[in-house]
Amino acid sequence: MLGYLVLSGITTGALYALVALGVVIVFKATGTVNFAHGDLFMIGGFLAFTFHVLMGLPYLVALALAVAAGFGIGILTDRIAFRPLMRANLVSLVLATVGFSFILKGIARSVWGGKADLFAFPPLISPDPIFLGPLIIIPQQLVAIGGAALVMGAFAAFFRLTRIGKMMQATADNPKAATLVGIRTDRVYMYAFGVGAAVAASAAVLMAPLTLLYPDIGFVLFIKGFAAAVLGGLSSLPGAVVGGLVVGVVEALAGGYINSSFLEVSAFVVIMVVLVLRPTGLFGATAVRRV
Amino acid sequence: MSRLLGRRTLLALGVAALAAVPTFANPYVVFVGNQLMLYVILAVGLNILVGYAGQLAFANAAMFGIGAYGTGLLQVHFGVPYYAAAPAGALLAMLIGLAMAWPALRLSGLYLALATLAFAQFTLWVFLHWESVTFGAGGFKVPPPSFAPLPLPSNLGIYYLSLLAMAALVAIAWNVVRSRIGRAFVAIRDGEVAAQALGIDLFRYKAIAFGMSGLYAGIAGALHSALLNYVSPEGFDLFQMVLHKAMIVVGGLGSLAGSVVGATTLTLILEALREFKSTQEIAFGALLLVFVIFMPDGIVAALKQRLQGWEEPLRRVRGRPGAAAGAEARP
Amino acid sequence: MTMLEARGLGIGFGGVRALDDVSFAVREGEIRGIIGPNGAGKTTLLNVICGLVRPDAGEVLLAGEPITGLKPNVIAGRGLGRTFQTSQLFRGMTVLENLMTGLHGETRAGLFAAAFGGRAMLAEEERAREKAWKALEFVGMERFWDRPAQALSFGQQRVVEIARTLISEPKVVLLDEPAVGLSLNRLAELDRLLRRIRDERGVTLVMIEHVIRLVMGVCDRVTVLQGGVVIAEGTPDAVIEDARVIEAYLGRRVDARRRAS
Repeated sequence: MLGYLVLSGITTGALYALVALGVVIVFKATGTVNFAHGDLFMIGGFLAFTFHVLMGLPYLVALALAVAAGFGIGILTDRIAFRPLMRANLVSLVLATVGFSFILKGIARSVWGGKADLFAFPPLISPDPIFLGPLIIIPQQLVAIGGAALVMGAFAAFFRLTRIGKMMQATADNPKAATLVGIRTDRVYMYAFGVGAAVAASAAVLMAPLTLLYPDIGFVLFIKGFAAAVLGGLSSLPGAVVGGLVVGVVEALAGGYINSSFLEVSAFVVIMVVLVLRPTGLFGATAVRRV
Repeated sequence: MSRLLGRRTLLALGVAALAAVPTFANPYVVFVGNQLMLYVILAVGLNILVGYAGQLAFANAAMFGIGAYGTGLLQVHFGVPYYAAAPAGALLAMLIGLAMAWPALRLSGLYLALATLAFAQFTLWVFLHWESVTFGAGGFKVPPPSFAPLPLPSNLGIYYLSLLAMAALVAIAWNVVRSRIGRAFVAIRDGEVAAQALGIDLFRYKAIAFGMSGLYAGIAGALHSALLNYVSPEGFDLFQMVLHKAMIVVGGLGSLAGSVVGATTLTLILEALREFKSTQEIAFGALLLVFVIFMPDGIVAALKQRLQGWEEPLRRVRGRPGAAAGAEARP
Repeated sequence: MTMLEARGLGIGFGGVRALDDVSFAVREGEIRGIIGPNGAGKTTLLNVICGLVRPDAGEVLLAGEPITGLKPNVIAGRGLGRTFQTSQLFRGMTVLENLMTGLHGETRAGLFAAAFGGRAMLAEEERAREKAWKALEFVGMERFWDRPAQALSFGQQRVVEIARTLISEPKVVLLDEPAVGLSLNRLAELDRLLRRIRDERGVTLVMIEHVIRLVMGVCDRVTVLQGGVVIAEGTPDAVIEDARVIEAYLGRRVDARRRAS
């Protein structure tokens, strides 16, 4: 029981981690949080569903197309909901991304279905569970975890190795210096939104076979990703991954040992408690008050 | 223009117009008018917290729900009459609002946003899953309140009660934001450290802001339960949360007139969009974006630029003591 | 009489001693300068005195009473004012409103009085407005009373901020680099204003300042900090002669100039 719960917790945790990574990368670049981030995940999932299930394209092709589309929609978020408001107050900025989230949700609802429609994504490999002693493993979980690890690896490599990645890192570390050495911060914002969305889309494609898709999935997922990101300190990429796994495992254990209905709410309880006790997250540096 | 139409006059005119509505309008218009008044109460309360005190809290819809559930459940489970259940529900929302000032003392900006979002989700989960008390996803019916000695049917009784509550709550908010308490709110918003250096107790004023906003939302919730005669989790979900925020941003953060204008604008827009069911969400999102991008400081700020001389200072501030220019007579 | 005293103040951030055994005493009516190279712990010292940061050693006495560990707003209420390095005027208020906010500790109206606008509360507001107006006149800024705070120039904001601190009649005011970015004319005005604050208002001043010209002109005594430690104290003339100060403070400036050229 425990092994199974932990494994399924890690699987959903990997999903939250990917969503949290997108939240963190946008926060690091822009200092704000994209409230439409979960809807980018949702749209990515629906696009993959369209390409793979409705159009019959191979899974990997659907993955590539969905990720590319996610990148594009991310850039659109930057253009529409962030760029015109860069200097506005936080409330307006947040509300603009919420507005964008409503648009994405509305589009998904009118294209793919109404409030109650759920979409099942066919499993990639045999859905039969494997029994490893007391451990029950659903192969798709391993695929999802492995895929998530790959995406995270690619993400880390992107920051270490590519020019754009290094630019983003430099801007996050010291925006003023970055401007001085000629980094165009508007480019960095654009890529942050784009890359964040691409990661969300890849997460959607990886997780789609394990979960159901519906237009309203975005916001709940966003809050959990946001919670995972804050657990990890909001500006740490490894922190986001750990935060995601913690949220996932806590949920699975609460659902398994207390009551299945506690699964949905445990993440919120945990984040409230953590924020009250340690306002900068589990791994965050202690905040120094700026005068 | 502003000289001719003082703020007090405008408020009185607005109240008189709303009071007259039921004499000529059909029940649907009366219902929408009533809803509008509740939204004004919600927006004014939220603007005190977010616009004046600068606390990026997202639990307003939850407070609204707590007020409605508190009022409704007291009537259904314990047979408490409406006139006692409604204040109890509103007070409950206020107390929970007060309790949120504690985390708010240590959290700010996005962290506070997340903590309050999590609280809102938790509240919604309680509404949905504590079925033995809250009746779960289906919600429950509330008996229509009786205004027995008055010759008013239940819906008109609620209408006038809402009008009374709105007028009183707007007037109170108006007085508070122009007092030293309002100045303390704005000081905390614009600079916590400087506010403390001037002797302002952060906890006290954050608590007042959260408590007031909770009370306003709770009163709106208590009225809402009687307006619909029905309480269900759906009325306090994400959409409501966004709607209240949108009202104060569209109208103008840190402006009471903005709260009223924003609540009115969005109520009317929602009614207009009712025709286009399938695209309502898209249109709402797009309008929100358009408003935020093209009027980042809200409709009221945009109006101010057009209407010369229409100023809305936070407080009753005027020039040299005793000078008549710009002075506003006080009762 | 000693108005403000620090006894053995110490604080560390992650292994670095930002302040170590800092002691000094400021007489009533004195203007005390605190100088030292960047990173010497000057702003940290002000933050500790006014209660924003809690020291891990030592204590602070205001007019003979310990104030260590009290909340900043309580310390403010005991009569300690403070201005900041960057303007901390409240952007969303007018100049007069900013000043009235400075009276927060003196006004009393509670939530109910405010909500229902009682007679006593209105009278209190009127008194606050008069006082705010007088404070504006004191610093010569009354014609800007209805401007939004952010519409003022840098130097004007500085002066209004000082007025906002004075309005509650504090015993001691801490000033964090009041002369930063001021022109020579403005500097002379600030010099006069600081003297008037001391002479006409009887306020004791403690200021961090890099502009040596102002320090030499207006301060009665100067305390020199380096690396969180007091390395010298005395009259401006004596301190400026001190070999250790020249080495620590001026020496480094010469150094910096050399590097820049």
